[in-house]
Amino acid sequence: MPRTAIVAALLALLCAAAAPAHAAPVDDALAHFTADKFPETDRGIDELVASGAPTAPAVLGALGDGRLLFDPGSHRVYYAEASGALDDAATGARADGVAQGALKKVRLNNGIRSKLAAALGGLDLLSPDRAKRLAAADTAFHTPDPKSLAAIDAALGRETDPAAKAALLQARAAVVATSGAGPEADRLGAIATLTARGDGDALNYVNQAAAAPDASPAVKNAASAAASSIRFTLSLWQALQNAWYGLSLGSVLLLAAIGLAITFGVMGVINMAHGEMVMIGAYTTYLLQDLVAAHAPAWSEASLPIAVPAAFLVAGAIGVGIERTVIRFLYGRPLETLLATWGVSLILQQAVRTAFGPDNRPVSAPRFMAGSFHLGGLEITAGRMWIVVFTLAVFAALQVVLRATPFGLRMRAVTQNRRMASAMGISTGRIDALAFGLGSGIAGIAGVALSQIDNVSPNLGQSYIIDSFMVVVFGGVGNLWGTLVAALGLGIADKFLEPFAGAVLAKIAILVFIVLFIQKRPRGLFALKGRAVEA
Amino acid sequence: MTDPVLTSSLLYLDDVRVSFDGYKALRGLSLVLAPNEMRAIIGPNGAGKTTMMDVITGKTRPDEGTVFFGGSVDLTKRDEAEIAELGIGRKFQKPTVFENHSVDTNVALALKAPRGAFATLFGRAARDAREKVDGILRRIRLWDHRARRAGDLSHGQKQWLEIGMLLAQDPKLLLVDEPVAGMTDSETATTAELLREIARDHAVVVVEHDMAFVRDLGVKVTVLHEGAVLAEGPLDRVSADPRVVEVYLGR
Amino acid sequence: MQNHRTFGPRGLVFLAVLLAAAALVPASSLLTPAGSALHLSTYAVTLVGKYLCYALLALSLDLVWGYCGILCLGQGAFFALGGYAMGMYLMRQIGARGSYANPDLPDFMVFLNYHSLPWTWWGFSSFPYAVLMALAVPGALALVFGYFAFRSRVTGVYLSIITQALTYALLLAFFRNEMGFGGNNGLTDFKDILGHDVRSDGTRAALFATSCVALALGYVVAAAVTGSKFGQVTVAIRDAESRVRFLGYRVEHYKTLVFTLSAMMAGMAGALYVPQVGIINPGEFAPANSIEAVIWVAVGGRGTLVGAALGAVLVNWGKTYFTGAFPEYWLFLLGGLFVLVTLFLPQGILGLVDRLTARRRPGPPAERPVAPEEQVLPRPVAE
Repeated sequence: MPRTAIVAALLALLCAAAAPAHAAPVDDALAHFTADKFPETDRGIDELVASGAPTAPAVLGALGDGRLLFDPGSHRVYYAEASGALDDAATGARADGVAQGALKKVRLNNGIRSKLAAALGGLDLLSPDRAKRLAAADTAFHTPDPKSLAAIDAALGRETDPAAKAALLQARAAVVATSGAGPEADRLGAIATLTARGDGDALNYVNQAAAAPDASPAVKNAASAAASSIRFTLSLWQALQNAWYGLSLGSVLLLAAIGLAITFGVMGVINMAHGEMVMIGAYTTYLLQDLVAAHAPAWSEASLPIAVPAAFLVAGAIGVGIERTVIRFLYGRPLETLLATWGVSLILQQAVRTAFGPDNRPVSAPRFMAGSFHLGGLEITAGRMWIVVFTLAVFAALQVVLRATPFGLRMRAVTQNRRMASAMGISTGRIDALAFGLGSGIAGIAGVALSQIDNVSPNLGQSYIIDSFMVVVFGGVGNLWGTLVAALGLGIADKFLEPFAGAVLAKIAILVFIVLFIQKRPRGLFALKGRAVEA
Repeated sequence: MTDPVLTSSLLYLDDVRVSFDGYKALRGLSLVLAPNEMRAIIGPNGAGKTTMMDVITGKTRPDEGTVFFGGSVDLTKRDEAEIAELGIGRKFQKPTVFENHSVDTNVALALKAPRGAFATLFGRAARDAREKVDGILRRIRLWDHRARRAGDLSHGQKQWLEIGMLLAQDPKLLLVDEPVAGMTDSETATTAELLREIARDHAVVVVEHDMAFVRDLGVKVTVLHEGAVLAEGPLDRVSADPRVVEVYLGR
Repeated sequence: MQNHRTFGPRGLVFLAVLLAAAALVPASSLLTPAGSALHLSTYAVTLVGKYLCYALLALSLDLVWGYCGILCLGQGAFFALGGYAMGMYLMRQIGARGSYANPDLPDFMVFLNYHSLPWTWWGFSSFPYAVLMALAVPGALALVFGYFAFRSRVTGVYLSIITQALTYALLLAFFRNEMGFGGNNGLTDFKDILGHDVRSDGTRAALFATSCVALALGYVVAAAVTGSKFGQVTVAIRDAESRVRFLGYRVEHYKTLVFTLSAMMAGMAGALYVPQVGIINPGEFAPANSIEAVIWVAVGGRGTLVGAALGAVLVNWGKTYFTGAFPEYWLFLLGGLFVLVTLFLPQGILGLVDRLTARRRPGPPAERPVAPEEQVLPRPVAE
């Protein structure tokens, strides 16, 4: 039975590997190198790998670099270290007193070199370093080669770590499925393993197994069942991936809209310069990063976190300035506010363009935001993940400010009943200015995060303003939770539409949906009801 | 709805309930008004007076209850414009006139005439429109101010103009919300006189806080409290009712 | 009361200036020699012709904003749709003279491998059909959009925001090649209009005169509408919408009608604009364009019609001058204009003029019932 044969072979290998003290196989293998013939060298590599000798990696590495030497007289093999010192190839012990001049180099040709590369990969499968073994198994999975089967089997025999063992089994399955050879049971086993893995590569290999010229009907059936099972798994992961992308887009929308939810949603000010507050936050990030790089390079990793309060203060201060000089004269006249703040937005854009030029400014990502990782079948980039986390943190912080601080209490009092609040001694003008500053400051914070995923240019804010208004209006004005649900909902809807309609049509569809939705519920998803809001 | 005439009354509200986000503005309000009757409605703040008007004029849809007008028309199924066309006029608590139009234009816009967009775009004013407007202007004592911008009128004059606009609409029923709020004593007296004059050929519902004014009107009084009727009858009897005294008058 | 003084003295002057310009400017451009003091270059004629199209757009916006309180931030969409209708006619006139020499398909369609003309393009080789579409397409869009929005009582800022979303969605849509309207590049390289070379001096002069007449006609229609009882109702809606409703007027019908009419005027402006500038592309749908048109109206004086046209010409003349002389400062100036006009000149230039002339008039104004210092006129009711 093939399976028992495999087990027997594995056991044999295990025994061989478990007995490194028995030196004979190593010596036999090394002896081939002294023949000074390419076919012999070739065999020597095979045997050395199979021997599992602890010096094998060093020997094979030396062979590749032309540092493997032999004594034609004594038939001993040595390898030279980078320092020039000689080590005995069989034991790895320092071979002092051997005259280098008497030694000959083991010669190489291209055949040997490619053989060597595969052998070194096989050796990594046996490496004492678990991470190296895992990486080697992964490589073997992605570049299945029938020649590596022996090495994989050898490694499987020795492997004790469950994760590494699973990776090796998958690599073996990949080799078996793609080789188009081997007994039926072996192939069926490989298909089962690949189905369990369930990713795009597995699907590819399973299809190859089905397409093998000598595949039996059983293998073909198993492979097609496996393929459809994998496709289903894949579509589930795809849906989850889309949901993640949607969540990521939604958090960007939320971040951009959240400040507007204060200025527009709570205070009723139509701030068309909101996008420019985001832009100013992004430029603050850029400036701060340059400043840190110039004066305190050791802190450059921290420049992004430092930029968060800085952007809040800069954008918030500008917001307070705008409120005191323009907006406060226009309360109760929302359409005029809209026009005046649009003017402010043009001025801010041009000011930044004049100061920094029209082109994009580079903002680099700190190390913790670089790279990506897998979560099952999901690929998650660290930068996006941090933006999602950051957005939710900002949202939570804002809720705390509004609900649990004296300022939040006063602000809610002013927005609910200005005259009563004023009568109770609240300085409504100050609260207005601070509330507008808060909204603007949060927009500035959004700019810090958006500097990581968007071009920092004077036009940065323009691209967010319409979306932000859509989110706030859709969610229901005056309702922060509505803004949250609207932003995440719209983000996810957008990403689920994209595969069918393309990015532009998806966006148009969302816009049309919101326009229609506002017809149906003019006050958004979570509207406040009652007489008060209509008055 | 199917029954052509359910009631001989002009306005019939039964067990009307309205709530906003859990707050119950009306809790089973019932009210019957006879044709040409004048009725005063009193009640403390939050008693549901304005909500009742909103329900009658179609601004707010009740959650439950029946509202019939002229015996057979279900008002809960109509919107503001339809209800206005049926013959229900409304005066807001805060005087609402078209500030940028002249006083006579305000009255002319309210005058009974085709209301369609094309009719006003291409149509001509009826021949007797001018006379009708002039008659109303005299009746509301604004003849001398007819060419002024309505926004420039005094508070009291705006209230009268709005009443004049209701007259021009020639409704079967007038709903008047606090017509004398913020008026001087002499203006108040004039307004009471004006309303009594109007009540001769129209049904009128007046919501008012001013007890002296309600006494002046000398009509049946309905007291609302917490969204329902607390008492009903002549003012003397109502004001003697201990429950009314407790919730409203005694404060 | 209903004094149908359709055109005041100001309106009559405006009409007279337009008609005189329609006659004299082409004459000066075509009949006088190039060096003459009376000569106007074709460049100048085209430039002013463009301003006149903007003036018609501003007029259409004033009709809805100044007289009905609907601050449409998507007026540019109607303008662009009208422009596309005319652009399609002009594309069809190129015939086989395009780079690919295809007699049936415009160049960009050959490039995108179209095999036949899409149905949206049928009929556009006819000039009357194109003009009809320049009116009907914006009109139909405004009718449908307006009917639903106004029926649901979307008002004030909410309406402004969804009109902005409308033009933004159209911007994105027209950028797509699949729409069949030239995608990114739009429509350009026009050759003939009604058999005459679009670039010739004579055609330019004729287009200028047509723009004058169109603006004059637009003004006459707008003045007639705002002077009618219909106009009184729309102003009443602007100032106290729910009062109008309780008087029994169907507010949504009024708004839809005036919105549709305004969209058709904007479409006509776009149709006249495209042959003069020689190109129409999706950029015309940009929300910023629509907002810029709002400032023209605000500068000139909303609710005055003539002021809207005046504002459009003034602001655009300023834009031409500044973007040439001090390109860095134009946006500062435009932004400042938005802020200063809303803060200090809420009635625009004509409002200021009215105020100053009213001051000089002795005694209480008998005819004008408006106390000037209190006339915070078009304060649109937000909600």
